Amino acid sequence: MSDNAIRISDLTVRYGRMIAVDHAALDVARGSVYALVGRNGAGKSSLVRCLLGQQRPQNGSATLFGEDAWSRRTSLMQRVGVVSEDADAPPEMSVAAIARFCSRLYDKWDQDSVEARLRTFGVPLTSRFGSLSKGQKKQVSLAMALAISPELLVLDDPTLGLDVVARKSLFEEVIGDLADRGTTIFITTHDLAGVETFADRVGMMEHGRIVLDEDVDALKSRFRRIRFAAQPVAIDTAALRPTVMRSWGGGAEAIVSNYDDVSFERMRSTSNIGAAEVEAMSLEEIFIAIAGGNNS
Amino acid sequence: MKNALVIAAREFEEKRFVIYAAVAFAILPFLLAVIPGISGKSPQDTIVLSAVIFATTFAIAVAVISGASFIGRDLSDGRMSFYFSRPAGSASIWFGKLTAGILMIVGTFGFIIVPARLATGEHWTRMISSSSTWSVLYLLTVAIALFLIAHVISTFARSRSPLIVFDFVAAVICGVSIRFLLLPLMAGEAAVIVSGLSLALAIIAALAIIFGGAWQLERGRTDRRRNHLALSQFLWTTMAVTLLIAAGYVGWVVSLKPSDLTGHVQASSSASGPFAVITGKSRGRADYRAAFLLDTADGSTWRVDPWAAWSTRYSRDGRNAVMPRRAAGGADVLLYTRGKAEPVDTGLTIAGGDFIVSDDGKRIATISNTRTLSLLSIYDVPTKHSLASVRLPDAMYVRGLFITPDVLRLYLNGPDGGVKIMEIDARSRALRETGFIASPKFVSFYLDPAGARMLAKRSHENVLTLNDARTGAVIRTLPTTGPVKAAHYLRDGRIAVVDGSDSATVLHILAADGTPQRDIPLGAKQWVAIIGDDGARVVLNDVDIASRRNMFEAVNINSGVVEHREPNHEWVSAGVFEMRPPIEPLHEVLYVGDQERIVAWNPATGATRMIAGG
Repeated sequence: MSDNAIRISDLTVRYGRMIAVDHAALDVARGSVYALVGRNGAGKSSLVRCLLGQQRPQNGSATLFGEDAWSRRTSLMQRVGVVSEDADAPPEMSVAAIARFCSRLYDKWDQDSVEARLRTFGVPLTSRFGSLSKGQKKQVSLAMALAISPELLVLDDPTLGLDVVARKSLFEEVIGDLADRGTTIFITTHDLAGVETFADRVGMMEHGRIVLDEDVDALKSRFRRIRFAAQPVAIDTAALRPTVMRSWGGGAEAIVSNYDDVSFERMRSTSNIGAAEVEAMSLEEIFIAIAGGNNS
Repeated sequence: MKNALVIAAREFEEKRFVIYAAVAFAILPFLLAVIPGISGKSPQDTIVLSAVIFATTFAIAVAVISGASFIGRDLSDGRMSFYFSRPAGSASIWFGKLTAGILMIVGTFGFIIVPARLATGEHWTRMISSSSTWSVLYLLTVAIALFLIAHVISTFARSRSPLIVFDFVAAVICGVSIRFLLLPLMAGEAAVIVSGLSLALAIIAALAIIFGGAWQLERGRTDRRRNHLALSQFLWTTMAVTLLIAAGYVGWVVSLKPSDLTGHVQASSSASGPFAVITGKSRGRADYRAAFLLDTADGSTWRVDPWAAWSTRYSRDGRNAVMPRRAAGGADVLLYTRGKAEPVDTGLTIAGGDFIVSDDGKRIATISNTRTLSLLSIYDVPTKHSLASVRLPDAMYVRGLFITPDVLRLYLNGPDGGVKIMEIDARSRALRETGFIASPKFVSFYLDPAGARMLAKRSHENVLTLNDARTGAVIRTLPTTGPVKAAHYLRDGRIAVVDGSDSATVLHILAADGTPQRDIPLGAKQWVAIIGDDGARVVLNDVDIASRRNMFEAVNINSGVVEHREPNHEWVSAGVFEMRPPIEPLHEVLYVGDQERIVAWNPATGATRMIAGG
């Protein structure tokens, strides 16, 4: 049995001449939460479609639980809950009809959980899917995805359209709870603050490439913002590599991607940098720094 | 299977409003029947007719709309991931949706028809013919075909892929290929093969769409362009392979040689020269009929249209045959010449009517008949120019011959009886009436080699007259000794007449002016035709009463001796349209022998040889 719930190897997706995913590779361990971030058009959705066996890559492979996602899609989907980026259920169907339809396709189905969740978020079972708000549609999709007690939950930008309460519920109750129960979660999102508390690993896509794939704790520990009282400042770049360097007030600010206390103290003792303040960074700040650095 | 049914049920549930609409349309005929201004005398007629019209229209509308949306719209609206993110196989998704679509068509049709059928009872069976069951099946088949076609077009169009240009080209190529496959079969009057092949192609196309749909979802899944690509590949590959196989089959069917003909062999031949046309069928080729123009002297063959076999005209010099060949909007007229491998397209196109060939084959006159007029045109074949064109008077039947290369003489059986004789000169382009034969009965006649005189005989009369061929004036009545069985000019200008009772039939040889020269008793003959002469012999085909067999007989004109006899099953008619004796002497006579073989018999030697068939 594979230790990885997801393995993506050398995956390439092209649409004509445009390369959507460029030799991407990543692993997601069973029971972990993986957050994939990236700007719009970075290739996240194409990668997710390959992951769900909905699209055949031109090169490479995507496997779920050690099985090829393309060729074994039908059986794998018994174990995978999916919340798509766009609400995809037929608009004429009622929520109850969607639940009934799904229940007939899956081996496991918890109708009570579906009804409870929808009741919590005020989504009537009799409503036509097309008449629901964007957030309600997401809730319906999420309820269907959770009704099968999935081993893997794939959430493609799940917070899009959700209000603050629903977003909080999603992250704290649903994902947190599932993560605690050992469900593997693969989430693509722009909401970095939301995933920061529970994501075990994070990946970043840019122009189809995975430019970052790292444990969240390790990532956060090596990024620091250093503020200097005076400028210009000369930093020993061999010891600390600044990703971003800019003026800040009367002094300067550097964001370093390979921070460690020993190196910092050594630099402070050998350089005439004066007063300096070191701050930890949020995931969002780190990604802005990385995206900005790559763009520059 | 279970998932397919789940998906079919979901489709039904989603489109239940269509069923509601069908129920409304099922009620409508009964409402119409109680409206006085609409129902007329028979409310039941109104119910039957309106139910049939509503059911037909509704089923076809449902077919087209459902076909255009059941996959294509889900793909273009990005909703196919609803199915593909569930544990449902591509085949289940496809066949589930397909089943629902087809059941929807059949169901809505039934919803509207059945109540009307039950309510009208015997009235229905009186109004709708006994073939109504087949009509219903035919209609539903058409509706399902439209459903499948709409799916293909929808998939192609909604993908917004430039590949649609390729699809258009492929569809055109398929259509043109099918037309080219069927044309030679239709030319061969192969109705069974044409309908069978058309049905097979339609079934394969339907199966290609049905299984192509499963293939497109398996290969393309949620991507509309890849769906398009996959369906396109499957559909056109299947059709290409099918058409190649069909082409091979058609090629085999039409590759018949004259020697392959084994059944229903028929032939006609030229009165002079060695040209003959044979048609027939062959084992394993169903009802396909091949036709060939043969030069029996050198063995040359040309494949020709079977329908045109009986429209062949030969030049009197025996060197040319003129035949029509099916073309768009009519038929092209081709000139076949002995010793030339390829026929010459004369540039003439005829749409019905008839044509007349000059003695040397260099001029052709066409008579085209429309509802309001008959038009005669004379063409010069070498220059492909029209020399003259005139409107002909009303006539029941027109016969004609080139007296000279420029002068064409016509014999027109008028609608009120009698034969009008007219001549047209290609140089002056003037049509002149030169004579008239008054007769309420049909007059058969045969001209001398120069076209100056003719033998005329009225139908059902035993009087044979010698007439002026240009004016129709009677020159003299020829002496006969009983019922006239046949009368012909010989190539040297003398006259041969067969008459007498069946038990004592006599061949008379007369001089050109009708003076008797020799009487040759033939014995007991029931029916006699004079085929021609080779200078020394007159060749007859008769029914020999003693043997009860068709018999060729070569009668020596000088000695009066029957030199050779040849039993035959069926004489290959020669010179049916000829009005004068040929220029060349008769060399061989053809007949259909045992096992449908075409046999040539030499009246001078009595020898036979096989020409074709069997």
